[in-house]
Amino acid sequence: MTGKPGAAAGGLYLHILVLAIVIVSELIGIQRLSIGLGTVIFLPILYAFALGIMLNPAIFKASAKFLSKDAVKLSGAMITVAIMPFIAKFGTTVGPQISKIIEAGPALVLQELGNLGTILFAFPVAVFLLKMGREAVGATYSIDREPNLALIADKYGLNSPEGAGAMGVYATGTLIGTFVFAIMPPLIHGLGIFDVRALAMSCGVGSGSMLAACTGGLVAVVPDQKDIILALAAASNILTYATGLYVGMFVALPLTEWLYNKARPSERKTA
Amino acid sequence: MANQTNTTANLADDLPLNPEDERKIDVVKHAGLLLIACAIGLIANWVGTGTSPLVALPGMAVLYVACIIGLGFARFVPFYLPSVAWVSLIAILITIPGVPGAAWVSEQVEHLNFLALATPALAYGGLALTASEFAIARRSGWKIVIVAICVMVGTYMGSVVVADLFLRLGQ
Repeated sequence: MTGKPGAAAGGLYLHILVLAIVIVSELIGIQRLSIGLGTVIFLPILYAFALGIMLNPAIFKASAKFLSKDAVKLSGAMITVAIMPFIAKFGTTVGPQISKIIEAGPALVLQELGNLGTILFAFPVAVFLLKMGREAVGATYSIDREPNLALIADKYGLNSPEGAGAMGVYATGTLIGTFVFAIMPPLIHGLGIFDVRALAMSCGVGSGSMLAACTGGLVAVVPDQKDIILALAAASNILTYATGLYVGMFVALPLTEWLYNKARPSERKTA
Repeated sequence: MANQTNTTANLADDLPLNPEDERKIDVVKHAGLLLIACAIGLIANWVGTGTSPLVALPGMAVLYVACIIGLGFARFVPFYLPSVAWVSLIAILITIPGVPGAAWVSEQVEHLNFLALATPALAYGGLALTASEFAIARRSGWKIVIVAICVMVGTYMGSVVVADLFLRLGQ
């Protein structure tokens, strides 16, 4: 055990390292890159995540000297703690805009069902184009964040093909989700087809980092609509927290199962 | 085959699969960790926007209290709602026009940039990834990467199309 930092010291190093990463990321600030179709937005949260990965003890061996296994575990616990002030700040944007939110109410509630768009789009790609097996059910029924992954674990177990599919999308989403959600909305806004309110209220997919990336990107390209973008995104994210698990359990997963059985009748499980 | 199944089970040990765990959280310990997170958030806000931590402090104090109350609700209310949902609801409630102090709260939190407050969480997130998570991503292969991108695009665009349609209908 000699040479390894104690639990308290490891925790202290972790917070100091995070502080350093945060300062560097905020100093770089928001960067814009104009391409033909629109603007690609790079946000400080992206640099922070990328720097975190680069200094992660599993990647950068020298970090293991400062960050013990316990410190990495503490870092995992700190994600949920550190996202809370952000979520609270997000909530405070809703109150002042409450009448506009109610005005957009039907669209706001019904777009939750639009999250089923993953099945419409990703399921055919997985099953017909990539010829995936039952992994496709776990992979495509939802965006596979924590509650969705828990549902798959509960229903099929994570050792199952469905579990492998869900874990794969979970891990990939964790690694590149922030990036995808920072880049995509400004580009879609650049098409000039959709109401910016629709782009904003779709940001709530049940992941704090994806929410931050999505709204950060939109506010960077439409700064004068900042207040309503934040308020709608916050409201939709709360709706997803409240309904996501149930939509997954009672609609998305049965629908994906049914589609899979239709697509591959020969594989049908004898129930 | 049995071997591979075993590895998957081991890999899964590190995944955050127990949302119910919030029922057992130690609110006091979390209050301390949250204080660290808020301090780093104030510095992120300072570097990112130039707003002095002293100016932003009252707003951050309000957010801190909202978070603690939210954690308490998630822990003690007899039905389950994630703490982030409670925190959001409290934050909304205290800023609705007409609620006592709402104008003051809105004015104070205006000194805090929402994006700067997310930066610390992402830094912790990058450092928290375990070898298993990298291993799952590597082993799932390129097909899963394509599917994951389709899942994210599909989830977002599905909502955009439905929302846009109903916003137009509502006008």
